[in-house]
Amino acid sequence: MIVTKNWLNEWIDLGGVTTDQLLKTFNSIGLEVDRHEVLFVPNGVVIGYVETCERHPDADKLSVCQVNIGSGIRQIVCGASNVRAGIHIALATVGAELPGGLKIKAAKLRGVASEGMICSSKEVGLPSTGEGIMILDASIGELELGKNLNEYPLFNDDLIEIELTANRGDCLSIRGIARDLRAALNRPLRECAKNENQDRLGIGRILQLHHNETFEADLLFGAVDVKDFPVPFLLTLRLALIEGAYATAVDAVLLYATHSTGVILRAYPFEKFGDQESKGMITLDTDENGYAALYGKEKVSVIGVSQEKEAHFTQNEGLAIIEASYIAPDIVSKKMGEKKVPSCPHYYRTSRGSEPKIDMGIGYAMSLLEKFSSSQVYGGNIELLSSYEPRIVSMSEEEISAFIGMNVDKTTITQIFKNLGMQIGKPKGSTFAISIPQFRHDIINKQDIVEEIVRMVGIDNIPSKPLHFSEANRMGEDLNEYRKTRMYRHRAAQSGFYESVHFVFNERAQLEKYGFVCTEEDKELLNPITATFDTLRPTLLLGLLNSASANVKVNQKKIALFETGMVFDPRRNESKRLGFIVSGAMEGEKVSNAGKPSNTDFASFVQLISNVAGSFELLPHTPTHALAHPYMCAKVMIDGREAGELFRIHPNIEQEFDLAQTFVCELNTDSLPYGLVQAQPYSKYQASSRDLSLLVSKSISYETIKSVIEKHASQQVRRFYPVDRYVSEALGDQMSLTLRFVLQSDEKTLEEEDITAAMEWVLNGLNEELGVSLR
Amino acid sequence: MQEWYDAIKSADTIDKIEEIRIAVFGKKGVMNAEFARMKDLSDAEKGSFAKELNIHKEALNALLLDRKLFLAMEHLEASMKAEAIDVSLYSPSSERGSLHPVMETMDRIVEYFLAMNFSVQTGPMVEDDFHNFEALNLPKYHPARDMQDTFYFKDSMLLRTHTSPVQIRTMLSQKPPIRMIAPGAVFRRDYDLTHTPMFHQVEGLVVEEAGKVSFANLKFILEDFLKTMFGDVEVRFRPSFFPFTEPSAEVDISCIFCGGEGCRVCSKTGWLEVLGCGIVDPNVFKAVGYENVSGYAFGLGVERFAMLIHRIGDLRSLFEGDTRLLEQFR
Repeated sequence: MIVTKNWLNEWIDLGGVTTDQLLKTFNSIGLEVDRHEVLFVPNGVVIGYVETCERHPDADKLSVCQVNIGSGIRQIVCGASNVRAGIHIALATVGAELPGGLKIKAAKLRGVASEGMICSSKEVGLPSTGEGIMILDASIGELELGKNLNEYPLFNDDLIEIELTANRGDCLSIRGIARDLRAALNRPLRECAKNENQDRLGIGRILQLHHNETFEADLLFGAVDVKDFPVPFLLTLRLALIEGAYATAVDAVLLYATHSTGVILRAYPFEKFGDQESKGMITLDTDENGYAALYGKEKVSVIGVSQEKEAHFTQNEGLAIIEASYIAPDIVSKKMGEKKVPSCPHYYRTSRGSEPKIDMGIGYAMSLLEKFSSSQVYGGNIELLSSYEPRIVSMSEEEISAFIGMNVDKTTITQIFKNLGMQIGKPKGSTFAISIPQFRHDIINKQDIVEEIVRMVGIDNIPSKPLHFSEANRMGEDLNEYRKTRMYRHRAAQSGFYESVHFVFNERAQLEKYGFVCTEEDKELLNPITATFDTLRPTLLLGLLNSASANVKVNQKKIALFETGMVFDPRRNESKRLGFIVSGAMEGEKVSNAGKPSNTDFASFVQLISNVAGSFELLPHTPTHALAHPYMCAKVMIDGREAGELFRIHPNIEQEFDLAQTFVCELNTDSLPYGLVQAQPYSKYQASSRDLSLLVSKSISYETIKSVIEKHASQQVRRFYPVDRYVSEALGDQMSLTLRFVLQSDEKTLEEEDITAAMEWVLNGLNEELGVSLR
Repeated sequence: MQEWYDAIKSADTIDKIEEIRIAVFGKKGVMNAEFARMKDLSDAEKGSFAKELNIHKEALNALLLDRKLFLAMEHLEASMKAEAIDVSLYSPSSERGSLHPVMETMDRIVEYFLAMNFSVQTGPMVEDDFHNFEALNLPKYHPARDMQDTFYFKDSMLLRTHTSPVQIRTMLSQKPPIRMIAPGAVFRRDYDLTHTPMFHQVEGLVVEEAGKVSFANLKFILEDFLKTMFGDVEVRFRPSFFPFTEPSAEVDISCIFCGGEGCRVCSKTGWLEVLGCGIVDPNVFKAVGYENVSGYAFGLGVERFAMLIHRIGDLRSLFEGDTRLLEQFR
């Protein structure tokens, strides 16, 4: 909602209120100031009158004008197409400095002397009022030749754009905002004077209204015989400020009146309802969509919603029917929700609450028409008004102070509501009864009342008070889960990963290409924001891959990212994952690696992940998707449970994403341990270690060997792990695998023969089951 | 004798010293030879000869040890010097990773409210109309729904537009008093320089018995919270409108870039909007079947906090996993 200070001043006396004060007041009463611009035409731009206007002798498109500025005549060469003799214009005289730094000097244009510049609105720092120069008229005030434009309120003003919240339809007009200011500034409103001309033709002679049912809408009709007139400059400029679009002068006046008063106004050509011989007939009826609509010879408008295209008054002359209407916003927006129909720009106002005082709105519009044109306004109105029962909200002083947290005295409360235009009776005991006017449809309950007091008292004047609350242990399951995730995030960061955050959206086509199962078709996103974010992610990996790829493009050599976030299964069930990606160099380039750090390999990636996730086992794995290198892909097992996948990216996909060797891992956070450690007793005796170098067929996985050893190992074998793998041509299909065994007893330090015996057991088992022998 | 003094003084290796030691003090050394000469001397001469010889013996021995120690030190020094490195070559650049500024900011926010005895609650991202809108006093066709462009699914479910549905779920599953925050990702169908389709919020809710919770209480905790997060700033409350609170307010802090003087970041206003809050609307309590209660609620955008606190200019850079940004938070 755009207002200007002087426009407001026409509806409320702002004398002595500085712009800063005004801006502060707006913010403090909940009318958030979004933009403030000073409108000020520079000194030296004065009112001039074009006495004569002749074609420049040497230039077709230039005119030579003699401009009277009171103190004398100035010869001006002007290039505008709309300059002519007999008009008032804005003349930038020699010495004036225009916005943008243009200094006006005496000059010769194609050999003709020119002492100034006739200005368009843009040239003096105002919004565009259309092609050519400004043609001024008395609507801006009495035209005094030579007077600086900035001495007229229109050219020395403050534009303020207010961001209105959806509940404040009552402030969608200059008068509405003035009404809210009345309470904040404690100043009276200026009501527009009614101009009751007795000699008018009565409207009843040309128009009558019909309705079959009762409708919850207010309607008022006036008539005016329009005589052609130019749009007054005051309206032209102000409508340009609010970016209002109009086709005819009548449109301009109605738009201006609606912006000023908040009343919805429309104009129809009389022929829609009647003709020269017969009286016009307006019928109010329900239309085919169930909306309250107006009919003449055919449908002309839907109340509060739209006007039929051919029912607009588009001429510059002729008999026009002017309609002012009000329909409650909840009725019209509810209807729109049930059955959506096309709507006109007025719907923004009607759905948020247009001004119910429709006689004021139509009266204002008619007075403008009379003031600025020789159009004949018909006397009286034809009206259909529904009855409004004001809502009463009762509330005690104690309730008010409990909500606010401070006492507000009765007098202040009474004054606030009076100023807000609400009736408030004398308090009974400590209880107030407040009657809510129609224009404040947003006030329904006690807390709405409190809000009005809070607004007017000013939140800054409410003291801060700590709340005495009920102590409770509030460490629940969700906090536990949050803390667990946080612990793993910290570990990942400590282990060299950068945390990244990606949207939960992926591209369905890309996911499907890599073999992921996406959200079921009937549960899919209805209105994705872009084609590349058209489904929910079933994995964190694609986001990580895309980010890694973007990092390569900006020449990053070492990429290590992680993310914790939700993924969605085809039925849209959410689960939390922890995802990692590592690509390229293992560490930065430095002296110690001669500037050539080795690339991360499978083993070092597994080590990194285990620094975060703790110990786990890797098992051979064939994934359901196609992202993985088929021979470097593992299932991650934690405490015997499948916790996720760890693999190298398929070389083709690495290439697709411009990535070097890239490893990823995605874990379900559910499978990650979190909680307190239970310490186990441990042996006090010395531990010994023994290495076994085995000759094993390459086709046997370590997993198999491991399970055989576990079966045959004595209790004294505390741990064993592979430490070397050797293949050579000489070994053929076999490999040499060296395992290190750690042996220990709870009862004694193991003797050589104990150790040998334990190792024999293991070796025999391996030999029997797998044909494995010592190398 | 004097020649040996000179020899020791000019010896330049420990080996040389050892040679001299043997030559002087060895079995066949000079010393023994000199002492052997004593037997040829008269008794009168013997005394002074022995005395003089002993003086030389001690002096040479001392000189020898001294020289040996000196050479050992010189040797150590030389070998250490050979190991010298230019330490300035090894100034490390950390290989540690980092937490994402948004997540780290969220952690700080959660930390504050945990210290204030709030519980942490979470809820699903895929929500229904009731929890996301209806129960929050946003009936269908309410113009305020325009405020939040929503992602819908084909089965009329939606992606939550705020973390407020977690309030509803918490109130439906627990009894008052309630004191909770809900941190999490939320979604709005908006994507430009200053909007991303996903961002993070932390929402807070306090419910106590009727008449207990006032606007003054809300002011207290938010002022304290904002000063904890942003340091010594001024806090301003402006009345505003949210369907689920009444009265409602937007909360500004004095601009942390210009100190309230007015700059580009605060659009010359001197203030930065950081929070929305209010007294819980009675319709919200009605929707969850609470009676005779009072409460306040607030909500904030974590990205906004993170950008202000860490001086990050581009919202979208937060979702690009760009190492150039993330490595700065190591």
